[in-house]
Amino acid sequence: MGSPFDINGGACVAMVGKDCVAIACDLRLGMQALTISNNFPKIFNFAPSTYLGLTGLATDVNTVSDLFRYKVNMYRLREERHISPQTLANLVSSSLYEKRFGPFFVSPVLAGINQTTGKPFICGFDSIGCIDFAKDFIVSGTASDQLFGTCEGLWEPDLGAEDLFETISQALLSAVDRDALSGWGAQVYIIEKDKVTQRLLKGRQD
Amino acid sequence: MDKIVAQYSRPSYQNVYSEQDQQDLTESLPPLSLKFALPPVANPSAFLRAMTDDHSNPSCPIKLAHGTTTLAFRFQGGIIVCTDSRATAGNWIASQTVKKVIPVSRLSRGEDKPTNEPTPGLLGTMAGGAADCQYWLRYLSQQCTLHEIRHKRRITVAAASKILANLTYSYKGYGLSMGTMLAGVTPQEGPALYYIDSDGTRLPGNLFCVGSGQTFAYGVLDANYRYDLTEQEALALGRRAILAAMHRDAYSGGFINLYHVKEEGWVHHGFDDMNPIFWKTKLESGEFSNVTSEL
Amino acid sequence: MPGFDFSNYNRNAALHARGVPLPKATSTGTTIVGCIYDNGVVNCEKLHYIAPKIWCAGAGTAADTEFTTALISSNVELHSLSTGRDPRVITCMTMLKQHLFRYQGHIGAYLVVAGVDPTGVGLYTVHAHGSTDKLPYVTMGSGSLAAMSVFESMWQPDLNKEGAIALCAEAIKAGIFNDLGSGSNVDVCVIEKDKPTQLLRNYEKPNERGQKERNYRFPRGTTAWLNQKVISKEDMKKYVTIETLSGDDNLAAGEKMEVDV
Repeated sequence: MGSPFDINGGACVAMVGKDCVAIACDLRLGMQALTISNNFPKIFNFAPSTYLGLTGLATDVNTVSDLFRYKVNMYRLREERHISPQTLANLVSSSLYEKRFGPFFVSPVLAGINQTTGKPFICGFDSIGCIDFAKDFIVSGTASDQLFGTCEGLWEPDLGAEDLFETISQALLSAVDRDALSGWGAQVYIIEKDKVTQRLLKGRQD
Repeated sequence: MDKIVAQYSRPSYQNVYSEQDQQDLTESLPPLSLKFALPPVANPSAFLRAMTDDHSNPSCPIKLAHGTTTLAFRFQGGIIVCTDSRATAGNWIASQTVKKVIPVSRLSRGEDKPTNEPTPGLLGTMAGGAADCQYWLRYLSQQCTLHEIRHKRRITVAAASKILANLTYSYKGYGLSMGTMLAGVTPQEGPALYYIDSDGTRLPGNLFCVGSGQTFAYGVLDANYRYDLTEQEALALGRRAILAAMHRDAYSGGFINLYHVKEEGWVHHGFDDMNPIFWKTKLESGEFSNVTSEL
Repeated sequence: MPGFDFSNYNRNAALHARGVPLPKATSTGTTIVGCIYDNGVVNCEKLHYIAPKIWCAGAGTAADTEFTTALISSNVELHSLSTGRDPRVITCMTMLKQHLFRYQGHIGAYLVVAGVDPTGVGLYTVHAHGSTDKLPYVTMGSGSLAAMSVFESMWQPDLNKEGAIALCAEAIKAGIFNDLGSGSNVDVCVIEKDKPTQLLRNYEKPNERGQKERNYRFPRGTTAWLNQKVISKEDMKKYVTIETLSGDDNLAAGEKMEVDV
């Protein structure tokens, strides 16, 4: 049997721009070769301008997203404020590390803007919660090798929101077109200080 | 003078080839022992499988190109042959522009220039190991051409498919991987379609789909296939069946390669990117309603 | 509850028994070194804070080095608070080894612990299974062999601060260039008696990425999209009431947090 990370397929990428961040995912849910659904978004909202992308085993993507919805709601009730991207990163990290010896098969990607400082923030995690802080971009999923290539080639510093949209979209679409297990459309979130634009991309359907 | 003439001519009954030579030329089967080097291990085929079978072992060191949807069906106007164009090595899409329809026996074609005229000869399709299919269909092509030279007429599809089936059977268990269809129209047979695979199977039939996306193609084909389809209907059906397979099967996709084989030979009906065809199909006929623009 | 949660363990073990590979955790792939000199100690690469004058370099499973050092750092702090003394390097090393030994190597943290305490200079290595070493110069991680070769040929007993920093940086560079797993930059941490600890991030950058010759920016409108939704602050007001609280204590009396005194 193949790796649990490669059963359902999927890809996710986050990028930093000038006073903005973007996060994008594909829409495929498959079982090995068979495409079950082409409407399975992998990005979840946890606070205004804070988004978490989850790729890997679909059952764990659902479990983990629900678990964090619960944890973030409890945080909001206790603290009476929204969770910041940095705090969510540490929450994700410690929650995943708690399951060090029985991990969830997910590779999370986090993107957001800290409402207090106004600074963009992105990071990625391995399945046991090691945080990868990055100043440029984070990739995950079955197309991560391809995404590393496209992001390394297309990303540049200080892109504005609209330019960042084009860059992240083209990076994702080009990457998933070379991966059999991801694609079938994509969703992009462009996060600015007080506006989030969500777009559904027209991607190849093969 | 006579002496000189005699020196350079031969009575017609006398032949350069001995009876034995002639016997060999006309009746011999193509040589099967092409002497492939085998790895110096106890069980070469098990070794090959361990090295190349990425389905049971995703981290196998050699990943062969696999994954395909190909189809062919007979109808009143001849045979439709249609394929996708994707080659994958594991989950990596190695190519989106593979030609999976291979013309077999091109002797009578004369030249290679693209033409709208039908080209005489057979068509073979490629599924499974890309190298196996390319190599052995080229080999088949060679044998068919030799047949044409020896017998001064084109080989029948039955005979050609038997050459390939005998070949794959002789290599049974060595790890060849191919699922191929041979289509052709000959004066002796009319439109003929055969399925041959690396197990040594050889089946004549009206309708075949081969490859990882075969089930999706069969779904469309079985629902809409009739023998008395018009040429336009048949071409559209072939294209639509491949489109369905490309959409649902992760290992099929790319371009739709469409051929029509008729009495005078085969005609190519395009190598077209599936993407615009998919959206056109969806928007104009309301199919693929699972793909939405809702957010 | 602190500690590990084994709720997925049986599921994953059952999958593994059926031939499913275990998830690959990020491995540091690194070279870490440490070296003492007359009055202090130098410690290089992938640095974790334990106490103001105790620092730890980690190799192995990245998440394990991160969380193990964080846990021990926390316990060292509590210990020093309860004893009212500066923490000792040997205490920290002992806590690390006892923690790692308990987990029999399953926590894949390979550490170099270095620091200065009232007893003097301390430099130790701690292996994932719980064994430790006390040496004047140490290396660990995938590039440890390359780095050790530098120490073995160039280390002297009477190094000064500059010499020790240079030697450690040289050893790290040997790791970076001769080991495929190790890469990028050199971080150095200098811990000296009666002086604040110096953390020199990117002390050397032998692998600077070059500037791109041109940009690959796409013209606006390159990407075709089918639908869009804009979520703005104004939209959010439709669903929740947003009130900005003033600094006046009386106005927001109901919102005040109760604090035990």
